[in-house]
Amino acid sequence: MARLDDINPATRQRLIDLDCPSFDIQPFVDGPPLDRRKVAIVSSAALIGRGELPFLPGAADFRTVPNDRPASDILMSHISVNFDRHGWVRDPNLVLPRDRLAELAAEGAIGGVADTHFTVMGSTDPREMTATADAIAAGLKAEGVTAALLLPV
Amino acid sequence: MSALGLMLEARGIPTVVVGLIRLHMEKVKVPRGLWVPFELGRPLGEPEDAAFQTRVLRAALGLFATARAPSTIVDFAEEAPGRLPLPGWRPAVTLAPGLALADEIRALAPAQAAHVQRRRRSTVGLTGLAPADWAGHLTAGLSGALPASPRPGLSPAQLLKFCADDLKAFYSEAAQSDGARPSSRQVDDWFWNETTAGRTLQAIRKAALASDQAGLKAVGGNLIVPGARVVAG
Repeated sequence: MARLDDINPATRQRLIDLDCPSFDIQPFVDGPPLDRRKVAIVSSAALIGRGELPFLPGAADFRTVPNDRPASDILMSHISVNFDRHGWVRDPNLVLPRDRLAELAAEGAIGGVADTHFTVMGSTDPREMTATADAIAAGLKAEGVTAALLLPV
Repeated sequence: MSALGLMLEARGIPTVVVGLIRLHMEKVKVPRGLWVPFELGRPLGEPEDAAFQTRVLRAALGLFATARAPSTIVDFAEEAPGRLPLPGWRPAVTLAPGLALADEIRALAPAQAAHVQRRRRSTVGLTGLAPADWAGHLTAGLSGALPASPRPGLSPAQLLKFCADDLKAFYSEAAQSDGARPSSRQVDDWFWNETTAGRTLQAIRKAALASDQAGLKAVGGNLIVPGARVVAG
């Protein structure tokens, strides 16, 4: 469905025209075998804990999602209305696949799952997120994460 | 997420990006990327299908072992079965026609509670307002005279936007509370074509666009009704 031809014309054109940043670098970091990697999720779904202030338009900050936070206490505050949320209503793993990662860890396919995941407002220009990238990277390193899984909505 | 992935990789974190828009992955030149042919909002493809989700994750995480050079983008081959309509689907609750918004919300409450019972969670709660308070806030948007926001940190217009999101989530939970697996389009068709809530949000959008309040105009123009569901005129 996310083939561009399948998206309604207004949203499609906006996605085609989106000014993606370009980078002069092509970083490529090595790491241990997958069965020894600790995995963390970085989601653009603007997830918040129940009771927290939602992400607002243009927010360039980040929030953390503890791996053991109950799914019933996680809400999605992304400002866009142009993506599906009916699937999220039925299953949090569609966006934040913590149960699936736990299963992969239990069978030994990955080394482990981080205690903390990260989330940002996906509609914000990433060029405004330099400080956020610094902070998320520092948080991932502090936990010994060797595989960041970036998930959009 | 493509750009943030590259920014994290540049800071020493090995990354893999699951991408819904291949064009963006190519523009940014993600270090490792799995393009998935799924609907926006569904990066793992299929709700309530653990095996499908696991296949997506194995394909994505497997790139840590197989990708040998930057800008390795691989396509996930499977389509998500839930993209197709569920034959004969109807929402779990039948609404009487012509209900006022507050009455419609009340009529859906038992089904929404059944969703919470079945799935042990609710996605409703961004505003912190009780459902009984939603109709008043939303219909105030029709007049352009938004009441003060009871939620510190949210302007009246922002409260209106998140109230609309809570409303849509409440209706989605009620409609899907019987465990059926409709396509997103089927649920959207019901909400936008058959409910007072859908008609109310369309009217709020039009009123907001006509408003001279910048905050309300911005919210109404872009953040209430999906582009695919905007009713012209």
